Amino acid sequence: MVTPLISTATVGHEFGPYDVTIPADRANAYANSIGGEESPDYGDSLAPIMVVAAALTRLIDDLGLFSEGLQTVHAGQEVSWVRQIRIGEQVEATARLAANSVRRGNHFATVAVTYRDSTGTEVGTSSTTIIVSGETS
Amino acid sequence: MSSGGTQRAVGDSLTGFEREITQDRVDAYAEASGDHNPIHLDESYASTTQFGTRIAHGMLSLALVTEMLAIEFPSTWHSGGKLKVRFSAPVFPGETVVTYGEITAIDETEDGLSATYTIGCKKPDGTDAVVGRATVPLE
Repeated sequence: MVTPLISTATVGHEFGPYDVTIPADRANAYANSIGGEESPDYGDSLAPIMVVAAALTRLIDDLGLFSEGLQTVHAGQEVSWVRQIRIGEQVEATARLAANSVRRGNHFATVAVTYRDSTGTEVGTSSTTIIVSGETS
Repeated sequence: MSSGGTQRAVGDSLTGFEREITQDRVDAYAEASGDHNPIHLDESYASTTQFGTRIAHGMLSLALVTEMLAIEFPSTWHSGGKLKVRFSAPVFPGETVVTYGEITAIDETEDGLSATYTIGCKKPDGTDAVVGRATVPLE
């Protein structure tokens, strides 16, 4: 079994940058998943939480948390957003491991993410806390 | 404290909504987010996990909470809103969840008034799937 990065990464480890540009087909899938009669008309804009989710998927992959045998619990989430993002607008996410500790055999990790547009201007931040169990190393 | 022209006050509730979390919605969320973890999609795999069956993405439940905030604050939630939540229980496909929010404080900031809400998403048995707080600039 390959040792997942979560087992060895130290605080300050950087991830990305990830291209988290959301194309129209994924925006439509989001609407199908979340939407209802009361949902707002976003027009050509996105719910920013979708950009956060896209970055989180990339992070989980890079941390090795899709590895067989690991069980990951998404424990907490922080999000702040500066402005709306358009469908197809280029957004790049960079992340940093802000905490990584082991208690009773479980990893507790927090990853802080910054989102920037094509001009390099920050458009949002997020922080994700995860608990990972089932490591053999 | 009242928020003056915005006519909001501590104790005011957000208009929540119900949503049945069908497996179709979970599948669509996997397409949207790119998160195809089999714990959300593959019943035979999920049956071997601590949950014993498939669970919805936690971010799907959180997205419903943010949808409620976007409905209430169409021009400010996505431009200055903040939230901090914890995921306290899994949501299983077929369950109907209800979003909620209530103002706990209205504060004067450098950029004007902002409201702090307790927010969350409850499962059919009344337990929280997602719970936390959000801060939204008032229009």
